[in-house]
Amino acid sequence: MKRLTAVVATLFSLAVVFPIAYSISASFFQWADFTAIPARLLPSVPTFDNYRRAFSESNLLVFLSNSLYSALVGTVVRMTISILGAYAFTFFSFKGKNFFFILIVATMLLPPDALILENYTTIRTLRLTDTYLGIISTTLLAPTHLFMLRQYFLTVSREYREAAVLEGCSDSRFLTTLLIPISKAVIITLAIHSFSTIFNDYLWPLLVTNREMMRTVQVGLTMLGFSENLDYGPQFAAITLLMSPILITFIALHKPIQDSVSTRFTGR
Amino acid sequence: MKLRYPQWTKPYLLIAPALALAVLFSYRPFVLTVLNSLYTVSLSGKRITFIGFDNYIRLFANPSFQASLYNTLRFTLFFVPINITICLSAALLSNRPGRLATLNQIFFFLPMAVSLSSSMMILKMMFNPSIGIINQLLHLDVQWFNNRHAAMALLVFAGVGLDIGLNFLLLSAALRNVPTDLLEVARIEGANSVQTFRYLQGPLISSTLLFVVVTNIKDAMLISSPVMILTEGGPFRSTQTLVYQMYLEGFKSGNYAIGSTIATVVFTLTFSILLLLLHLERRRVYYQ
Repeated sequence: MKRLTAVVATLFSLAVVFPIAYSISASFFQWADFTAIPARLLPSVPTFDNYRRAFSESNLLVFLSNSLYSALVGTVVRMTISILGAYAFTFFSFKGKNFFFILIVATMLLPPDALILENYTTIRTLRLTDTYLGIISTTLLAPTHLFMLRQYFLTVSREYREAAVLEGCSDSRFLTTLLIPISKAVIITLAIHSFSTIFNDYLWPLLVTNREMMRTVQVGLTMLGFSENLDYGPQFAAITLLMSPILITFIALHKPIQDSVSTRFTGR
Repeated sequence: MKLRYPQWTKPYLLIAPALALAVLFSYRPFVLTVLNSLYTVSLSGKRITFIGFDNYIRLFANPSFQASLYNTLRFTLFFVPINITICLSAALLSNRPGRLATLNQIFFFLPMAVSLSSSMMILKMMFNPSIGIINQLLHLDVQWFNNRHAAMALLVFAGVGLDIGLNFLLLSAALRNVPTDLLEVARIEGANSVQTFRYLQGPLISSTLLFVVVTNIKDAMLISSPVMILTEGGPFRSTQTLVYQMYLEGFKSGNYAIGSTIATVVFTLTFSILLLLLHLERRRVYYQ
């Protein structure tokens, strides 16, 4: 029974990971390998030609730098806004605090995909189409991050700040020398999450970019022009290149990833 | 007092950016979308005349919308049970000690590392009827993009591929949190694996399971990007979903009023699902 479970689980997991493994293998295929009969799972003679062509015959590098730049800037702005907001909601008492907090967190209930018509109009009116600011605009508010940071900050005693302020410490100094350093773990986790969310976004960047040179990699990847001509090699090479860093990170960090989910969602 | 709160405006300034973004990119577009659905709207997005629920009446009589609604519900109906079965089996099968089990677990959540557009492009190429690996390997002759049923099946498959990573992580974390002494007692008492799941693991992971089911339903009702990349709604609108039609009406046909009306229908559907979650959370779930 135990052995049977192991066999079934292994076959099943191999099927799940097959598309990823095949993509990596196919990125080294020669053109003829795709049409070979019987079908090939491994390249006949591995070639790096697809990688060379993915870069030289498309604007992949431009797309990639657009994505990295907007995800980096987006993450920094998004974390700053979340940290400042969470800070105010944790350490200050002010009129309308609960109302404003609920107002911000309740935006989670509005699915962004259903808001794209009006948001696009806003971006067009502000003349922000085809700009980095336009690409990151709708991702700058992260209500879940603000919420989770506040939950974390609440575990820090309010007396710390009161003592610091009495000693003449400014808010910015308190934030940068005490609060942010002691919340490093949470902030880094949320920042990584932010980065991958913005980096992987598809629908919104598709709408707000018309110029080829402003496309992000997720949008550009679907328009490289290879797969339409059944020229799969370079397309698989581009995909492999894009997913490898994350795959390696996931495999290397599988233990902490699994543990973080277990503590975050089941509360233990 | 003056020392503790030097300026009463400070907290407001700190929350101002978040508040401004919430209004600009969530509440304002939400209100305008609902408003637009009650008006005729010009090509440039200006409201012209108030027409009450006429847009809704026109929309529900529109065959294209009927197809979208039907397809979205059909997709949800297929996708949610299939996805839950697959993700839960993966979590149960790999919930054992040993190195091989760890490897299985890594494989199960690895799809999470692949972005939506990458995984859709991978599927598009793998399922190409003439040179794709799937037809060749399984000796099939399925026209994945030209057959209504095959295209829907492909979309369901794509949905599972997108969701399995995270769902697996959530469910397997919940399973690992079932106390081992209880499992030990069940084993000594001679419970088989079905009984163990039915009476022990099942109830103990019910809150996670409910969360996964409800987010699955919500995601299924909002599905659009996979449709856009994989099937473009075809063949013959058989995979055209609500949000995809909203995109087409708003951005391709310049039909803002109808687009906004569809968006409002989508809001209503997702709100109902979330209310259902809150209701069920209070009543049915067993907490330890």
